[in-house]
Amino acid sequence: MKRRVVVTGLGCVTPIGSTVDDLASGLYAGRVGVGRLSLFDADRFPVRIAAEVRGWDLSAVGEDPRAWQRCPRQTQFAIGAGVQAARQADTGDGRIRRERFGIYLGCGEPFEDFQMFTRTVQESLTADGCSDAQFTEHALKIFDPDAEREMEPDMPAIHLSERLHAEGPVGNCISACVSATQAIGEAARLIQFDEADVMLCGGAHSTIHPFGVTGFQRLSALSQRNDDPQAAVRPFDIDRDGFVIGEGAAMLVIEELQHALNRGADILGEITGYGSAQDAWRVTDSHPQGRGTAAAMRRALADSGLNPDDIGYINAHGTGTVVNDKVETHAIRQVFGAQAYRIPVSSTKSMLGHATTACGAIEAVVCLISLNSGVIPPTVNHDNPDPECDLDYVPHTAREWACRHMLTDNIGFGGQNAALVISRYDEASSGRVSLSRAA
Amino acid sequence: MTEKRVSRYEDLWPIRRSGRPGTPIRDEGISMRSCQDDHRRIVITGIGVVCSAGRTAEQFWKTLTRTASGTRPGGAADFSGTIDDFGDLPADKRRAIRKSLKVMNRETQMGVAAGQQALADARILDVCDSERVGVCFGADNVSIQPDDFAGGIRSCLTDDRQFDSTRWGSDGLPEVAPLWLLKCLPNMPTCHLAIINDLRGPGNTITQRDVSANMAIAEAARTIRCGAADAVLVGATGTTLTAFSRLRARLEGDIDDEGICRPFDRKRTGPAPGEGAGALVLEDRDGAVRRGARIYGEIAGAAAASAVDRNRLSGCRKAAARALQTTLRQARLSPTDVGHVHAHGLGTPDSDLAESQAIGQVFGDAAAGLPIVAAKSHLANAASGAGILELIASLLAVQHGVLFPVLNCDEPDPECGVDPVTDRETAAGDSFLNVNLFGRGLASCVAVRAFAA
Repeated sequence: MKRRVVVTGLGCVTPIGSTVDDLASGLYAGRVGVGRLSLFDADRFPVRIAAEVRGWDLSAVGEDPRAWQRCPRQTQFAIGAGVQAARQADTGDGRIRRERFGIYLGCGEPFEDFQMFTRTVQESLTADGCSDAQFTEHALKIFDPDAEREMEPDMPAIHLSERLHAEGPVGNCISACVSATQAIGEAARLIQFDEADVMLCGGAHSTIHPFGVTGFQRLSALSQRNDDPQAAVRPFDIDRDGFVIGEGAAMLVIEELQHALNRGADILGEITGYGSAQDAWRVTDSHPQGRGTAAAMRRALADSGLNPDDIGYINAHGTGTVVNDKVETHAIRQVFGAQAYRIPVSSTKSMLGHATTACGAIEAVVCLISLNSGVIPPTVNHDNPDPECDLDYVPHTAREWACRHMLTDNIGFGGQNAALVISRYDEASSGRVSLSRAA
Repeated sequence: MTEKRVSRYEDLWPIRRSGRPGTPIRDEGISMRSCQDDHRRIVITGIGVVCSAGRTAEQFWKTLTRTASGTRPGGAADFSGTIDDFGDLPADKRRAIRKSLKVMNRETQMGVAAGQQALADARILDVCDSERVGVCFGADNVSIQPDDFAGGIRSCLTDDRQFDSTRWGSDGLPEVAPLWLLKCLPNMPTCHLAIINDLRGPGNTITQRDVSANMAIAEAARTIRCGAADAVLVGATGTTLTAFSRLRARLEGDIDDEGICRPFDRKRTGPAPGEGAGALVLEDRDGAVRRGARIYGEIAGAAAASAVDRNRLSGCRKAAARALQTTLRQARLSPTDVGHVHAHGLGTPDSDLAESQAIGQVFGDAAAGLPIVAAKSHLANAASGAGILELIASLLAVQHGVLFPVLNCDEPDPECGVDPVTDRETAAGDSFLNVNLFGRGLASCVAVRAFAA
């Protein structure tokens, strides 16, 4: 018995739009969310640009922002996106059994308050380092305990569980930049295995913080194009020089098909395939042939029972680092063969920046928008193609492009890879007929 | 196919309303095929342990059965984080691990050491297809180690030794180790184990605090059952000894710095801080039998539940009861079939009360005389690492036929109303439930059964 998993609710908070409609119009307009970093004084930092969520707070979903002010940004984003998705799916519906409604998120680690943390370290400095014991004692005196309790990656899931009365399995995973992708895939499996009927899944993250910039800058991963923020993320372009830190959240309510039909929910699409794979190569960089990335895509395809030529669009990880884009392109060519040149591939990070652990959820929402609208988003700033990146990256402008099945893949530090196949829901379908070919 | 520039986007996002109440469907569409092999059964074929009670399964069992009440365990003192802690290894792996040690923090080192033990114990590496072996770990938010910033902060001190935060970007940042961020990601045990052993199957890391271990086991079991892997190295690692883990555990009321762990005792005040990691190799039963692997037991069921409530006591009770019930149902076990329960047994007033009430509720009359063990009395609080160490302790007890005692439970709390094992003669039975709880109202449970071909 196969339990089909469909999508019945979507929500997002992103630098270019904090409702699904606004995100859609931003994507189609090619709006770029990257600007001068404003969340802290970055004047003396080597990188002074970021894709920030601006002018948004939780009042947008009817919450009192003051009640959440002690929570890190990612938690606020998660609540915003989660509440949107839950409303669209009407998860308060009495026909949903509370113990069959779970949550699986891929939220990352929040960073400590910079001033408090550095002051505490300073007071705990020893001759050759910093004393952990002294640090804890100082911290207990000066940290705000309520804020400190919120600094765990599982707090968004815990808050949403309380807020939405989800009493099934509640979990959070961290697999670097594939976290949210895996959260969606594993949540779908929980439904397939009949351990839940409805799952809220996705992710939220913000690393726009002095330590986020420190960490990624030390890894040489960031674009240094401070003088031209809008042109900084250049996926698959010859002049690309790194990613730009972004932030945000996206959430999906996914549901067993018959359960969704029985309660008359709007069906926005179907999760038809999921694959996870490890490079097993190095913690710092991808396998040069992208073997894990290719394996994750192949596994997602196999899981869906589709052939490579059934896929009509690929939303790439496309961070805009020199290595990522080359390796990812190579992996797509390996999996899709000659067909790779006929499938449009775009990187929406060119507009959204890199929302780290949350990016996979945002990109899944992008695919669902595209499946429903028949328009795929562009890769902006793709001006001068890198000869090693030779696919159709949908440069500059959105494109009308109807297809039935899309694939989205993500690649993370440590050699983690994951991919999802997301399909248009078609109740009359007998499967295997690709609209992209039929059209 | 048409390609054209899109100039108007207002009309491009009509959500298709295709769902209709009660529409009968013919299930012929595309769907995830993950359940194709869900008849697969999951067995345990390898064990690895790093904790204050031992660095091998043998030592661990010895400590569990010989330690007397009153001892105050803490750190895994024997684990120094040098290459010798990783067991007998072929030269290439020894080299790979030694090279990576400096980019692993202590939790990662413990997790990797436990993982290497489990893989060696299962003797699986030479016979497996590396594409078909996954890794799934439970881990705490590793957070940042203050020490990693000492150099950077020092370089931003003014003449009167005040920290000038405006200088961090120019003077502090370059002093941070290049791979610092990778050192503190919680998914690093999974990644290092994959890299060292060329495991290219699926990989994931659950960061759901104390309930992570059982959830990782549940996820690993699903990964095998759905055919995405033939074996998964599953583990968990955790600590309440580092700066932030200790701070947060203090704030959650999950440790008592001066305390001693007294599960279900009238005078319990919370466990001392601790640390540890454990790992298991889970395998598809048929494959394990075919290759003649030593089988420790079978994962018969696994479930998680939540009831996040301002009233933490009732939330935890409800979540725990539901996780236990669902696990029993999955495992097709009736309460009277269960040999023993390995409780979360945190040793705090609320957690033990909620847990024992949940056990009472689920087991009913069968709760009387049901043996309850709690290895935290031997281990202190290893946070997300504890759950798997506890499961391993029970697995070893089933192998030896006899349970180890709960330490420091001198005056069982009548309000709890459960029967903690305090002797060294109680039979372990051939099946048990392992319970993980987290005080916010989360629970996860795994049922293990002795293996019968």
